[in-house]
Amino acid sequence: MHAAAHSSFWIALLVGIASGSIGPFILLRRMALVGDALSHVALPGIALAIIYHLDPFYGVVVFLVGAAFLVFWLEGRSRVPPDAIVGLLFTASLAIGILMIPNEDVIESLFGAFPVLGLPLLAGILGAAVVLSALCFWLAKRFLFLIVSPDLAKVHGLGRGYDLALLLIFSCVVALGIKLVGTLLMGALTIIPASIAKNLAQGMRRYVVLSALLGGAISVAGVWVAESFRFLPGPAIVLLGVAVFAASLPFARRGMA
Amino acid sequence: MTDDRVLRVEDLSVTLDEQPVLQNVSFTLKQGEAFAVIGPNGAGKTVLFRALLGLLPCTGRVEWRRDVQIGYVPQRFAIERSAPISTMEFFLLQSPSFWRPSAAFTQRLDQELSGMGLDRSILRKPLGELSGGQTQRVLIASALLEQPSVLLLDEPTAAVDAGFEETVYALLHRVQMERGTALLLISHDLSVVYRYAQHVLCLNKSVVCQGTPVEALNPQALTALYGESSFYHHEH
Repeated sequence: MHAAAHSSFWIALLVGIASGSIGPFILLRRMALVGDALSHVALPGIALAIIYHLDPFYGVVVFLVGAAFLVFWLEGRSRVPPDAIVGLLFTASLAIGILMIPNEDVIESLFGAFPVLGLPLLAGILGAAVVLSALCFWLAKRFLFLIVSPDLAKVHGLGRGYDLALLLIFSCVVALGIKLVGTLLMGALTIIPASIAKNLAQGMRRYVVLSALLGGAISVAGVWVAESFRFLPGPAIVLLGVAVFAASLPFARRGMA
Repeated sequence: MTDDRVLRVEDLSVTLDEQPVLQNVSFTLKQGEAFAVIGPNGAGKTVLFRALLGLLPCTGRVEWRRDVQIGYVPQRFAIERSAPISTMEFFLLQSPSFWRPSAAFTQRLDQELSGMGLDRSILRKPLGELSGGQTQRVLIASALLEQPSVLLLDEPTAAVDAGFEETVYALLHRVQMERGTALLLISHDLSVVYRYAQHVLCLNKSVVCQGTPVEALNPQALTALYGESSFYHHEH
């Protein structure tokens, strides 16, 4: 197995777990589509980083964190329906990104690749994935309180800061996985494990744990399939996840879909 | 604020969509007191509660005692039904540890559950599958978990079966007596107000009357509040 595959397995495992950990909250906040579109914002970031000869990862982080603040700001303005604006803006950034990125890098930017990373950046990505997963579990109670009853949560002193925290964790997880899974598909990786786990788990604590485990397992299995059959890792992971989701459908609990 | 006052409200006004919803409401809530807010539909009762809790922007003064611990039982609990959350996990939202609750927390929870006439088996049920009455009792038990010094109840028996209504008020009365909890409650039922409240505030966008139920709820005040049909209510 070559070095890129080795680091891909580690990224798949730890970023997969992080995706699975944040996914349930994104899904329950009904932000699955916004979240999916948000990953497109990474594309102009990749383009600028390539133009300035930086590692695309840094461009991705800056643009995604910026997008998280933008969504948070839009959500706070009750008179503007955020969906339409988010849809337009994020699709526009996809278009801008495609025009700016050199042709030979387009496929890799959209659908991911087996990344060749220096040890410091690899260690940084893996460490960040562990920290973000831990944050999801630590903040789970507060995220859930705000989902179940925003009023009661506010009476208990939970403010909009946690909404921002949720978006920022989500953006960072997406940023970590983009090299492997690509800008078009990374959003899906956060939604798929959570959707499968929702069909299977009873109770919120089991839901989050199962989603995290599925995120890791599906990503690792996807990388293995891609490595064995010489596919791109992004589509392999996402298609495998969708297949597992289809298999989980007969187990979906009534009234909980 | 002197010690026996838990809440002082002065000239509270709320405007929503450029329409005045509450105007110049003033009152004081004392420690251990049962304080009822009555008024017709659309009088701004729930708006008043939401303003007191800081959930709505308002003008005027809302002064809670500094060490106050507030419990809130909303009227309609719009829970996100797609969340696969069990009743136990709903209670755990108030536990210091969501993942591994302490024995002390579980013990306190058992106490509040039996106080509300709920069986432990309800903890395993999904929150979204409880009946209206069960949800309401779970909400009250959950508000009592943190031993609040004030309990705000927005029509606490609206969704409870008729037979259980009396039990809920008797229980709340016991909480008030034994723990010294102040109760601020919205009610439609004047007999409840007469029986349990020490103070009543009649609200119809502004304060129509206030005082002890016997002195405040005179025929003139009730007519001003509900219109002519109030004579029916007065028969209680």
